[in-house]
Amino acid sequence: MVEPADILLTGVHATSALGRGAEAQLAGVLAGIPAFRPVRRFNTGPRRVNAAATLSDAGPLADELTEAVTAACTSAGLTASQRAEAALLLAVHGGRSVPALGAGLAAATGFPAVRTYTTACVSGTNAIADAAVLLRRGEVDRAVVAAGYLVEPDQYALFDVGRALATDAQVRPFSAGRTGLLLGDGVAAVVLERADIARQPIAGLLGWGRAGDAFHPCQPEPTGRGLARAISAALVRAGRDPAEIGYVNANATGAGPGDAAEAAALRTALGPTARRVPVSSTKALHGHALEASGLLELVVTVLALQRGKLPANAGWLGPDPECPLDVIRDAPRPADTGYALTLNAAFGGASTALLLGAT
Amino acid sequence: MTGPGGLTVRAQAAWPEPGDGAVPPLPGFVHSAFNPLVVAVADRCLRRAYRAAPTVDGERTAIVLVSPTGDTASAAYVRAAVAADRRPGPLFFFQSVPNSVAGHLAARWGLGGPVVCLAPTGDPQAAGFAEADLLLYDGDADAVLLILIDTAPDDGDAESAVAVLLGGGDRT
Repeated sequence: MVEPADILLTGVHATSALGRGAEAQLAGVLAGIPAFRPVRRFNTGPRRVNAAATLSDAGPLADELTEAVTAACTSAGLTASQRAEAALLLAVHGGRSVPALGAGLAAATGFPAVRTYTTACVSGTNAIADAAVLLRRGEVDRAVVAAGYLVEPDQYALFDVGRALATDAQVRPFSAGRTGLLLGDGVAAVVLERADIARQPIAGLLGWGRAGDAFHPCQPEPTGRGLARAISAALVRAGRDPAEIGYVNANATGAGPGDAAEAAALRTALGPTARRVPVSSTKALHGHALEASGLLELVVTVLALQRGKLPANAGWLGPDPECPLDVIRDAPRPADTGYALTLNAAFGGASTALLLGAT
Repeated sequence: MTGPGGLTVRAQAAWPEPGDGAVPPLPGFVHSAFNPLVVAVADRCLRRAYRAAPTVDGERTAIVLVSPTGDTASAAYVRAAVAADRRPGPLFFFQSVPNSVAGHLAARWGLGGPVVCLAPTGDPQAAGFAEADLLLYDGDADAVLLILIDTAPDDGDAESAVAVLLGGGDRT
C-alpha cells in the first residue's frame, strides 16, 4: 500500500493476442510466452516479414472498443447516469472514418461526447494525462479512456517497407541482436475517478509527464532527451524519488536506436537507480499495438503491481552495452515497491511517462 | 491579444493569406498537401513570433495538431498500393501519422513540449483551444503552437490551415 492518490483507476479491460479481458493479459505476460505467429488475417506475400500478434476472433474495431468500454465501466460499477456525465477519451489511428468511429462509440456506450487522439504511439497515454487533468480541474468526476488498434494490411505494409519489423519474428527489447518490432492487436479501456468518489480502486495514477525530443520527424534523440524530461515531470508531479520506483514497463520496441535512447533517458531521469530498477517491455509478448500500446501497457502494469509480480522481458539473447539496465529475464520477479512507471515514445519525439501506485 | 478561455495569442497565421500561391514542397514528405501545409502555416506563425529558428525559449512549447481526418490523401495512396500488392514508398511509413510533421517542426524550431494530435468529431477550433488550455493548465508547457488543418470536401486533401501560438494568459 502506498500513499493515497487523488486520481484512481477503478476499472480496466484489455484485449490482445494474449486473450480477452484484464486477467488474460496478466496471465499472458506472467507466462512469458510471446504471442507472435504467421499472419493469417491478410496476405503478407509481398512483405519481408510475416509475423504479428493477432487475436483469432477479433471483431471490427468499433465492436471491440464498445466491448472494452462497456467491460471497464461494468468493472468500475459506473451507472448509465454516471457515464452520461463523464468524459470519454479515445486513442486510434487517424483517418476518414475516425470522427464517425468516435461519435459511434460515445453513442453506443452512453457518453455525451468524445475527445479523439491520433498522436501515434503516445495517443493512449496522452489521453490518460488529459483525463487526469480534467479530473484535477474539476471538469468531470469520472473519465474513461479507450484505445484500439487491430493489425491491418496498410500499417503492416508501411512498417515492413520502413524496415521496422523484426526479421527473426521475435521482439527482443534492450537485448543484443534485436532486429525490430512486431505489431500486435490491442484494445483497452480504463476508468479514472476522483478519489473522493471512487469505490473500487485498482491503482492510483500518481503522476504523468509529457515532453518532446525536438530532434527529428521519426528518429529518437540518442540521449532520450524528451523521454527523460517526461519521466522527471511524472516523478515531480507524483512527489516521488527515483529510488522509490520498483518497476518500469518500458516503451522498448526491440528497435536498436530507440531502445538505446530509452536506456539513456532512464539513466538521465533516474540516476543511479536506473541500473537497479527492474525493467521489462511487454511488447515482446503482446506486440506493438501502436495507438493502443500505451493503454494496453498501462493495464498490464497496473495488474502486475496489484499482483506483486513483474513480467519478464521475452526474447533476451544477451546484454547490449548501450542498454545497461536491470532487465527482468527468464521469469517474473516479485515487486519490491508499489510504484511503477510505464513509458511510451512515438514518431516526432513525442514522449510520455505515467507513474502508478498500488492501492 | 486574448483568445478563447483567456489564452494569450502571441502570434497567428493562415495559409493561404493574400498573395499566396501553391504551398511550397516539403523535402522528405511526398504526395499530399497535408504536411507541407502544416509547415508553411506554422513557420509563418513562428516567424512572426520569433523571426528566426530556433526559438530561444521553445523547450516548453507544445505542439497541438488538429485535423478531423488526418492526411487522407496519403492514406488513400497507401491503401491503393497495398490492395494492388505493391510496396508503398518508404516515406509513407513516417508520414502515416501526424506526429512526424510535428517532429519536423519541433526539430526546426526547438520546440520540446508535449505533442498532441487530435481528430475531433465536433468543432476543430474549439477542440484545439480546449486542448491548449488543458496543456497550459497541466504545466508541462508554457506555450502551445496550435495548428488547425482544413481538408477539401471532394478529395480530402488539405487545402487551408491556421496556426496560433498561445500562452497561458493570466497563468503565465
